[in-house]
Amino acid sequence: MTNKKQALAIAQVVEKGLAKRKARERRFRLAGLSAIIVSLIMLVVLLSSIVLTGLPAFTQTAVKLDFTYDQDLLPSAESLNDEVIMAMDFHGLVKKTLREKFPEVSSRKDKKQLYSMISSGTPYDLRDALMADHELLGQTVSLWVLADDEVDSFFKGSKTVTDTKLSEKQISWIETLKAEERIRTQFNWTFFENGDSREPELSGIRGAMMGSLFVVLVTLLLSFPIGVAAAIYLEEFATQNRWNDLIEININNLAAVPSIVFGLLGLAIYINLMGMPRSAPLVAGLVLTLMTLPTIIIASRAALKSVPPSLREAALGLGASKTQMIFHHVLPQAMPGMLTGSIIGMAQALGETAPLLMIGMVAFIVDIPSGFLDPATVLPVQIYLWADSPETAFLERTAAAIMVLLVFLIMMNLLAIWLRKKFEKRW
Amino acid sequence: MSPTTIFIIVILLSVSSYWFATRKAKAVSGGDTRKLHSRLPYYGYMTALWAGLPALLVLLAWVSFQGTIVANLVMSDLPPELASLSAERQSLILNDIQNIAKGGQASNVDDVLQAMADHYNHLLSISHAASLVVVLAVLIIGAIFALKSIKPEMRARKRVESIIKYLLIFSSTIAIFTTVGIVLSVLFESLRFFEKVPATDFFFGLEWSPQMAIRADQVGSSGSFGMIPVFAGTMLVSLIAMLVAVPIGLFSAIYLSEYAGKTFRTFAKPLLEVLAGVPTVVYGFFAALAVAPFIRDSGSLLGLSVSSESALAAGLVMGIMIIPFVSSLSDDVINAVPQSLRDGAYGLGSTQSETIRQVILPAALPGIVGGVLLAVSRAIGETMIVVMAAGLSANLTANPLDAVTTVTVQIVTLLVGDQEFDSAKTLAAFALGLTLFVVTLALNVLALHIVRKYREQYD
Amino acid sequence: MDKPIMMNEKVNFALTMGMTDTDDIREETDTTEIKQMATVGSPLLSEKKSRMTCRNVDVFYGDKQAINNVSLDVGKNEVLAMIGPSGCGKSTFLRCLNRMNDTIDICRVEGSIKLDGQDIYDKSLDVVPLRARVGMVFQKPNPFPKSIYDNVAYGPRIHGLVSNKAETDAVVEESLKSAGLWEEVKDRLDAPGTGLSGGQQQRLCIARAIAVKPEVILMDEPCSALDPIATAKIEELIDELRAEFTIAIVTHSMQQAARVSQRTAYFHLGDLVEVDKTDKIFTSPSHQLTEDYITGRFG
Repeated sequence: MTNKKQALAIAQVVEKGLAKRKARERRFRLAGLSAIIVSLIMLVVLLSSIVLTGLPAFTQTAVKLDFTYDQDLLPSAESLNDEVIMAMDFHGLVKKTLREKFPEVSSRKDKKQLYSMISSGTPYDLRDALMADHELLGQTVSLWVLADDEVDSFFKGSKTVTDTKLSEKQISWIETLKAEERIRTQFNWTFFENGDSREPELSGIRGAMMGSLFVVLVTLLLSFPIGVAAAIYLEEFATQNRWNDLIEININNLAAVPSIVFGLLGLAIYINLMGMPRSAPLVAGLVLTLMTLPTIIIASRAALKSVPPSLREAALGLGASKTQMIFHHVLPQAMPGMLTGSIIGMAQALGETAPLLMIGMVAFIVDIPSGFLDPATVLPVQIYLWADSPETAFLERTAAAIMVLLVFLIMMNLLAIWLRKKFEKRW
Repeated sequence: MSPTTIFIIVILLSVSSYWFATRKAKAVSGGDTRKLHSRLPYYGYMTALWAGLPALLVLLAWVSFQGTIVANLVMSDLPPELASLSAERQSLILNDIQNIAKGGQASNVDDVLQAMADHYNHLLSISHAASLVVVLAVLIIGAIFALKSIKPEMRARKRVESIIKYLLIFSSTIAIFTTVGIVLSVLFESLRFFEKVPATDFFFGLEWSPQMAIRADQVGSSGSFGMIPVFAGTMLVSLIAMLVAVPIGLFSAIYLSEYAGKTFRTFAKPLLEVLAGVPTVVYGFFAALAVAPFIRDSGSLLGLSVSSESALAAGLVMGIMIIPFVSSLSDDVINAVPQSLRDGAYGLGSTQSETIRQVILPAALPGIVGGVLLAVSRAIGETMIVVMAAGLSANLTANPLDAVTTVTVQIVTLLVGDQEFDSAKTLAAFALGLTLFVVTLALNVLALHIVRKYREQYD
Repeated sequence: MDKPIMMNEKVNFALTMGMTDTDDIREETDTTEIKQMATVGSPLLSEKKSRMTCRNVDVFYGDKQAINNVSLDVGKNEVLAMIGPSGCGKSTFLRCLNRMNDTIDICRVEGSIKLDGQDIYDKSLDVVPLRARVGMVFQKPNPFPKSIYDNVAYGPRIHGLVSNKAETDAVVEESLKSAGLWEEVKDRLDAPGTGLSGGQQQRLCIARAIAVKPEVILMDEPCSALDPIATAKIEELIDELRAEFTIAIVTHSMQQAARVSQRTAYFHLGDLVEVDKTDKIFTSPSHQLTEDYITGRFG
């Protein structure tokens, strides 16, 4: 009989244990909260270290020099055309201009140091300017030309006096230029206009971006139709038999295979067996298609499943054939979900590196690709390649390239989320 | 006549066959299209498909293999002094020939190579012309066949729909083809590897230094291909990653599903997912740029000798990447535990942590274990983080502060170099790939099995 | 029979209506102001006789009011049945008695509910020991995915009522015996609790609830998921348990209420319409709504 005494005794025992249990409860809850906070802190540390490293790369240092397109650059008294211009000695012009600017420089060693302060791409800029406007011959123009990456890093403050490789003389020349307002930092358009280069100040991600664009395009054009078709078959037509079970098992397994294995597949079959060109966006797209197919199939199946049976029955009831019902009614309804899944799949493909290394996209490619079969690289691989370079300037550019990549990914994900919200049908 | 042009021709001709078909359909119906079994466009679609599809398939197959066939033909025609060279040299020569043929540069252009390059181009243009003829023939035959069969009672729509259905089925089987392709290609190359290096050496060898002679006469060409230290490196890094990811991920999932309020959840969950969306190359950069130096410097402060490519750095960052996997899967599983179990526990006077620890987690355990196994599989297959942050020297060690190499790093190193395709060095990469594939597959199957077998508990 | 000391004419009227209890009824009705009470019959009991007292309880789900101004006592060692049409709030009310409604965010409870004179909604009162004193059995049997032994031992373990295996064994055996399940499971205590039949699972849940020796057991339609034979067994069990525990049972079956309870409360759309001795309710109810429900005009 649970009499009062017994009840009291029990209540006392329970009370005694309460404090400890409450303490454990608090600790447990705290552990959960800390776990989330630690994760978020990691995210913040990751992003901020990238942003802090990469921001300096968006500015570049330029020097204003007065270049005289001297008549005696012309080898003979010929008229100007591109061929003649190509033969002109613009290197010499640059050196001459620098010597005129700093006439006190005399020793060979010092002269070498002086010349190395300007980017090695400057002669080509001068040449291109003359090609564009033949009138320049005989004139003196003031041009802002890019500084060498050592000067750039120092002037921007990425490297201090102790870190920099610049000599004291070079630093003093920079001070002179500064006093004359002939040196400035400007937005680094080169980063977005040029392809890869050995010189950090001339390197850009345009080649990689075009490559990524082609690759994602090929992947999308191939994986979307095939993925949607497979999803339609599996959802609408397939019966429960061993063959279809096998297909499903395969799709689920492929979704979990490491991406590098797909690269091996691409290497063995596309490149060796079928002889396709290495580092071509087409091959990369084919490899990534196989990789993103499972994602698209799974997402599309979910989209198809969510279309209510009442819609299907209405179509069938009016005498539509099964195929007509699917393509005229179900598919349009499921399309937003399928597009969302594809965008997410493309975002994954955009960030993939390992399989593309396998098919040869690791070469140093300077030209901007213009077709699907031109050798190209993609943004993640460019990041990987630059990450190996020791120069500070490349370090900054790697981080800047990462920022560009992340911006693209964020945009794609936001697009997917917006699509999902917009087309969330309430039945 | 490039393949692209042929492709466009096929498309154009298919489209025009559509037009022909609809004209004929109108004709056989005597002007009244209602007499036809199907609506008018279907006759057109049917004809276009009958014409275009086979032609495209033939074109695709032709283009896929013409490169290899032409290359083989050219190589079989090599002058005797070149034909006697090693296989590696021959493929270098082939490379040169192909480069010259495309109009690019080659290392040494001599007359012989130029002649071969011209021969190559010649064969290629023959192939293109032949493909045009064959493809067009297929297209026209298909079109005529379809056109002849157009009658009012012909069920064009049904035929079109079954063609569509077969296309759908084919698309689904691509998944199977991919798996088969992976298995076959990796297996095939691995078998070639095992011809050069015995399988027992590979699977049980304790030393990994994949050197191969460049020339057959080079002394000291021994290389050891024992993969155990490499695999041990993978395990070490993955272990560190899981030690980071499982507690943090699991506790995050617990907090989000049991304790967090709605607003907290709507903000925190997507932010955790962001960790999963960051490309692995970014993590690799972060690991090499910030984490590895930090660990090395802290290590020297504490008097420990830490390699700058320590397993700890790579494992730590990999763990961060995997947190959302564990957290997301666990979250789903915890939410799937029915409310009635929670009610039962609360009704008895449990605190929330007691309910979670003693009722919910045991109920969710199969799913959580499955999720952890999948995360392990992900860790093992991860490439970029370790390539950028871990080392290249195969070290059989359990010390996380040492530099180790992993299976994926070795695959990349072996294949990204300048080695030719036939040497044992590059084939070793495929053997490693085979091992990787099998292990991750086994983990996935195991994960699925565990989830399925133990799931029925509370229903 | 002493004349009760009345404080309030309305209370007097309600109490004299149908009270036939021969026990000492020197009432001290609650000093809290009793608002306008439409409840017919004898919802309240003397302090000595009531285990739980509820006064002017309102329950809201967000803006919607689910329970209107209910005052009701649950008597010691009695079985109180709560009946009424679906959605009338009886489960909601039951869940207030052990604060299970705390788990629902939008649920708000006002009024006073006391267990042995202690307000259970008091801010300083911990809900954990409360639920050790007021246990609950749910509509659908919900044994933990643990062994039968661990299911029953769970409550005593977390509250610290047992400290070694011997004590745990004793408690488990006692509870299973009281629940009438011992004979059927005594040689397979390690088998999973979810492997039992529906009726056995529910008895396991009852054993689990009584293992912590609560003062009150709340049962929310405990037999609605069971077949008639299992139901009969449970009803038998409830009658036996009455000796030790106070039981409040929600049921949608009037026959069940008639079989197992001593007092019955009829709820209608959130109002407590009538409370009285069970045979009176079922033979000569005082309120028209009660009569309509009992005779099957709606429900």
